[in-house]
Amino acid sequence: MLRDVATFLERLLGFDPATFDYSWVTAVVVIGAASLLAFVFIALFAGPVTWWERRIAGRIQCRIGPNRVGPQGVLQWLADGIKCFLKEDLVPAAADQGLFRFAPYLVFGGYMATFAVLPFGANLVAADLDVGLLYLLAITGLVVIGILMAGWASNSKWALFGGIRSAAQLVSYEIPSAFSLMSVVLAAGTMSMQGIIGQQGAWPWEWFVFKNPFLFAAFFLSLTASVAEGNRTPFDLPEGESELVAGYHVEYSGMRFLWFMFAEWGNLWVIATIATVCFLGGWQVPGVTPAEIAASTGLAFWGWQALSFAVFVAKASVLVAFVIQLRWTLPRLRVDQLMITCWKYLVPGALLNLAGVLVLLAVVPDQGVADWAIRGATLFLGLALASVFVWKARAGYLADRDLYRRMEGKELWYPPYRLP
Amino acid sequence: MTFTEILQRLQAAFPDGGVEAVEDALLDPAVRVRADLVHAACLFLRDEPDLWMDTLRVITAIDRPPDAIDVVYHLLSMRHHHTLVLKARLPRETPAVATVSDVWASADWFEREQFDLVGVDFTGHPDLRRLMMPVDWVGHPLRKDYVRPDVYHGIPTSRDRVVPVTQALPPQHQAKAGPETDLMLLNLGPHHPATHGVLNFLLETDGEIVRRAKPDVGYLHRGIEKIAEMNAYAGTMPYTDRVDYLGGMFTNQAWAMACERLLGIEVPRRAEFCRVIACELNRIASHFVGTGSMAMDLGAFTPFIHWLREREKINDIMERICGARLTYTYMRIGGVARDIDAATLEMISAWMDHFEPICSEFDRLITGNEIFVQRLANVATLSAEDAISYSLVGPNLRASGVKWDLRRDEPYSVYPELEFDVPVGLGWRGHVGDCYDRLIVRLFEIRECIRILRQAIAMIPDGEVRAKVPRVLKPAANEAYGRVEAPRGEAGFYAVSDGTDKPYRVRIRTGCFTAMPVIDHLSPGLLVADIVALIGSLDVIAPEVDR
Repeated sequence: MLRDVATFLERLLGFDPATFDYSWVTAVVVIGAASLLAFVFIALFAGPVTWWERRIAGRIQCRIGPNRVGPQGVLQWLADGIKCFLKEDLVPAAADQGLFRFAPYLVFGGYMATFAVLPFGANLVAADLDVGLLYLLAITGLVVIGILMAGWASNSKWALFGGIRSAAQLVSYEIPSAFSLMSVVLAAGTMSMQGIIGQQGAWPWEWFVFKNPFLFAAFFLSLTASVAEGNRTPFDLPEGESELVAGYHVEYSGMRFLWFMFAEWGNLWVIATIATVCFLGGWQVPGVTPAEIAASTGLAFWGWQALSFAVFVAKASVLVAFVIQLRWTLPRLRVDQLMITCWKYLVPGALLNLAGVLVLLAVVPDQGVADWAIRGATLFLGLALASVFVWKARAGYLADRDLYRRMEGKELWYPPYRLP
Repeated sequence: MTFTEILQRLQAAFPDGGVEAVEDALLDPAVRVRADLVHAACLFLRDEPDLWMDTLRVITAIDRPPDAIDVVYHLLSMRHHHTLVLKARLPRETPAVATVSDVWASADWFEREQFDLVGVDFTGHPDLRRLMMPVDWVGHPLRKDYVRPDVYHGIPTSRDRVVPVTQALPPQHQAKAGPETDLMLLNLGPHHPATHGVLNFLLETDGEIVRRAKPDVGYLHRGIEKIAEMNAYAGTMPYTDRVDYLGGMFTNQAWAMACERLLGIEVPRRAEFCRVIACELNRIASHFVGTGSMAMDLGAFTPFIHWLREREKINDIMERICGARLTYTYMRIGGVARDIDAATLEMISAWMDHFEPICSEFDRLITGNEIFVQRLANVATLSAEDAISYSLVGPNLRASGVKWDLRRDEPYSVYPELEFDVPVGLGWRGHVGDCYDRLIVRLFEIRECIRILRQAIAMIPDGEVRAKVPRVLKPAANEAYGRVEAPRGEAGFYAVSDGTDKPYRVRIRTGCFTAMPVIDHLSPGLLVADIVALIGSLDVIAPEVDR
């Protein structure tokens, strides 16, 4: 069938079948299939995660959330999507028609293109570029152009405000984000996503986040910066609904509006993935090395792929849940405070981190006694912090349980770990 | 100082007979000042150390055909706790009086409104434009001989004639070529999530920095003052709910108090307690919306929902008390509509037991949040002098450090018997009078309301809840000013009767109306996001501004 397609294309283009190199046809088909898979994944991720976010928000706000479409409302995102499809596609009369129509695709394309290098499992990656991380930082720049374009083309002052704010914010937060990821590149010695994962191990003490205190700090810096780059609360100034109404997409409706939403929730996955790949050991499965997975064949190979995929999704989902919880807990920063946070704290912090990682890499030999001592100390630090948080969460839960007893005179109806 | 002493001081200062007591035996004794002396008398009253009339409560113009228009100034001295009613009679053909907007900053908007609705020319006013009605409206609606135009730009003003929508075109909006400027004009509202109703602010911005925010009101002007002139005294009660939809009990009570003073009705003791209980519950509910929506304006959605959950329970109690959840119409002239039964009192006590620990939940969630504090502390700081000059009232005034609460300082109902504190702004996280103080004062007030409620429930006596009131109310010609401490400050009703069964003139003074010019005053130099925080912190409600 492939040959038929090739023959057809050749006849169309007038090449000689005898001398033609067939590899480009294969490449086109593979790229097409990979893009389609990535798109399907975004759709299948961004859709349900909107439902998930709204359920978490409901739990936080003492209400139920969407629970009508399908069991427990899991199909709510489909209903929303269909609704947006059926809405009229309004373009303001005074808008710049071409740019206005084009902007959503640029924003969506910017996020979509990151999926080219994002790994999902041991061998599940569209293109393992040598400069994967650099590509990732570069391609997200498209999003800024798209948002600015949407803000300008809408010919609305509120949208313009949103667009300008977004450009300032994204450009500023690229810097701490890039610097903290650069320290990972130094530690790994490669920019390839799979290479970075390969340099880590499956167990927490083999992850980069616990490699040394500087990388530990870099993890939080990078996470903060990428939350800001994704326009999520507390950094959602470009769309801040109570100030700018909806910011850069205030004039959009229907399917074009949906593209922005797609990009926003798809970006949750990108945020979580970058942190997982660079700091949390990616898809590594305990007890097996990447080389052994690559060497296996047949059913075992696909089994390992599925297992590594599951590990990866589990790690990323925890981070996604964390980012969602941030949104429903924190108020929004002001625009000057946003810039202060970036330029006074995050940028110098990231630079110091970079220097610290460099010094440690130069002084401490890898896998030596000192290296393991530092790893152990950092892991201990991380565990101590985590246990403080768990302890505080437990205290909050117990307080809530007592409150609920007093309020309603009965036991709390959900255990602490379950969503309503 | 008593009225007679103030009168003597005034007559000594203006010896040529321009100042005299109004001879009718009025409930609030008044001074009549010759029109050309008004400005000088006001300055004198404000600046004399032992008079110190620092607050202008309200300016009212009353049309008295065929030949006169009265302008009435209600003055108050917060320092000396005395009040004065100042009147000037103007010729109806050319009603002109000197402006007092340079004496009290709040006079600016009061005079604009009276110019708009009654047509008094306040000479020397810096910006005498219509406030409520459209700029090209013809006539002054509160004149007694006013005839409503049938159409306005092709839109019928009556409900009787239904015109297809295609014919009723709105007036063409014309872009005016202003002077060349580098500033961007930005319309915040009338439909904007942060304006809490239909309000408009014209922002002049330089990037994110606001150079000026000009409030533009009147989108919700329903002419309740005019409606009240057409209704019997008791019939106006349901309209007072609509003045302030979050604090209906207070406007109810202020109107009832004004009418009871006119008619000389004594309210039964149990009814007074019923009023206090209903009002304090209502105050809590109103502060829930005020503080919760303030958090929402700053991007934290969750606290608002938590407060609304509690407000639902208050609404349930209100439903038992008066049958309504929002527009209560609970008060009657001479009492309340119905008794609060023992089961409902039990319900209120149970709710308070449940609610008190939740106060701290809100604090954990948002009040102590560092981002939230940084957004509010030291933003839009209003000094005590400015707050008084702008006639701010209620929590907004107290946040600036002025301990003034009508329940304590001009006691009414049974409040003297109850024990409660008046929280003031102390610069909790920044300077006195910043947005954070305005928030925290409201949160403290919620706790004080609980205290008052517990005492009132313990003290409520048995007895009637309504005085014997004649079926048709015809108070003699007189005037009365009834005022209560509402969630957004003083809610005052100035009722003038003429011996018939309908009021001759009603003037409504609300806290939000005087809070609006403050936004104009504080806005230069703020960021756009700060404007949103400022509007939220003043707890502005559009129908209360426009009435």
